[in-house]
Amino acid sequence: MTDARDAELEELAGEYVLGTLAAEARAQLQQRLPSEPALRAAVDRWEQRLHPLTELAPAQTPSRLLWTRIERSLAFARPAQPVATGWWNLLALWRGLSLLGLTASLVLAGWLVIRTVPVGSPTYLVVLVAPQSNAPGWVVQANDPREIQLIPLGRAEVPADKALEFWTKADGWQGPVSLGLVKPGETLHVPLDKLPPLQDNQLFELTLEQKTGSPIGKPTGPVQFIGRAVKVI
Amino acid sequence: MTYGHSQSRLGCFAHAPSLPATAHPLPELTFDYDATLAACARGERQALQHLYEQEGARLLGVARQLVRDTALAEDIVHDAFIKIWTGAGSFDPQRGSARGWIFSVTRHLALNYLRSQGREVQVQDTALDALAIATERLDWSGVMQAERIHLCLDQLEPQRRSCVIHAYVDGYSHAEISQKLATPLGTVKAWIKRSLAALRGCMG
Repeated sequence: MTDARDAELEELAGEYVLGTLAAEARAQLQQRLPSEPALRAAVDRWEQRLHPLTELAPAQTPSRLLWTRIERSLAFARPAQPVATGWWNLLALWRGLSLLGLTASLVLAGWLVIRTVPVGSPTYLVVLVAPQSNAPGWVVQANDPREIQLIPLGRAEVPADKALEFWTKADGWQGPVSLGLVKPGETLHVPLDKLPPLQDNQLFELTLEQKTGSPIGKPTGPVQFIGRAVKVI
Repeated sequence: MTYGHSQSRLGCFAHAPSLPATAHPLPELTFDYDATLAACARGERQALQHLYEQEGARLLGVARQLVRDTALAEDIVHDAFIKIWTGAGSFDPQRGSARGWIFSVTRHLALNYLRSQGREVQVQDTALDALAIATERLDWSGVMQAERIHLCLDQLEPQRRSCVIHAYVDGYSHAEISQKLATPLGTVKAWIKRSLAALRGCMG
């Protein structure tokens, strides 16, 4: 590359990082970045040069709701890694699951499989865990892709003026869909005839909502239990 | 996300678990940003929460300074953390520091918004303040001489230095800087080009 072209690239990268490129030029540069290592390297150098200037903006404490919003959105963000490498890798969020909890829930799930299915086996299994402690709280079992059962592993504590609402979302869906309110300690049978068949990696969660359920048809309260569907061989 | 539409925000319940966002972040040298991003890439949500506690307030400050609106800045930081979470696996430490990367992600989201929306009114509103603030900041930069950027910025003429600060920290476009400094647009563009070239020469 000639010096002149080199200087041009540096200048473009510098204006991009500085922030003075107009919308169209910014968008064009961002499109070029993945395929042009020289441009990317120039941008990276400018990011490093100018980064200390971020200290000039005074820090501002976020509102208390910001993290909750982020956490809610994470449940529906696509996982960072490709998921084609097998179901153990899907389950990074279960890493903290205790050996005891894992064993207990799988034994129970296995027992349910044997007990309720005369031929074949459930196609999908979900263990719903508490997001903070990773303690297993519920198992979702599907004998049939058109019906699921939500089975409690313990008795969840729910404040008197609140209810647990059950949600699901598969990859590619616009948003989560309510599967109804859940009574703590009781098995819930949910027909899925109005929804597409269950999918691998489909997300299930229980959120804390007002007594009559979420008023807006989307989860609004904190996630109490969460898990993804895995195919059972 | 479309910024500024409150109906797009989920999780707006009153009894939210409170999270002390960066009340007392660790010194940057103590916090392992690379390991934290690696943990995010493995799907460890706790790691992202640690990063939020560590940098949430500073990232919000950077976004707020750029977009001049706290609710909008929170939307940007929200989107930045989702992007950090989904992009952590593709972060390459060879390309720069992990801490620099999370700031870049946030800045560019804010800049994408600013450049696509424009911001005519606020520039007029803050024309006098911002210059005073920038001047104050330039004095303040004396305490950070250890940073090479400040040594190199000091070598620029004051007005050109203001251009760099207004663009990078305040998010002003060429036209906004021209208006603020009451200097023709072409002159501002030339100053910025030369300032960037001088900074590159000075910093390597």
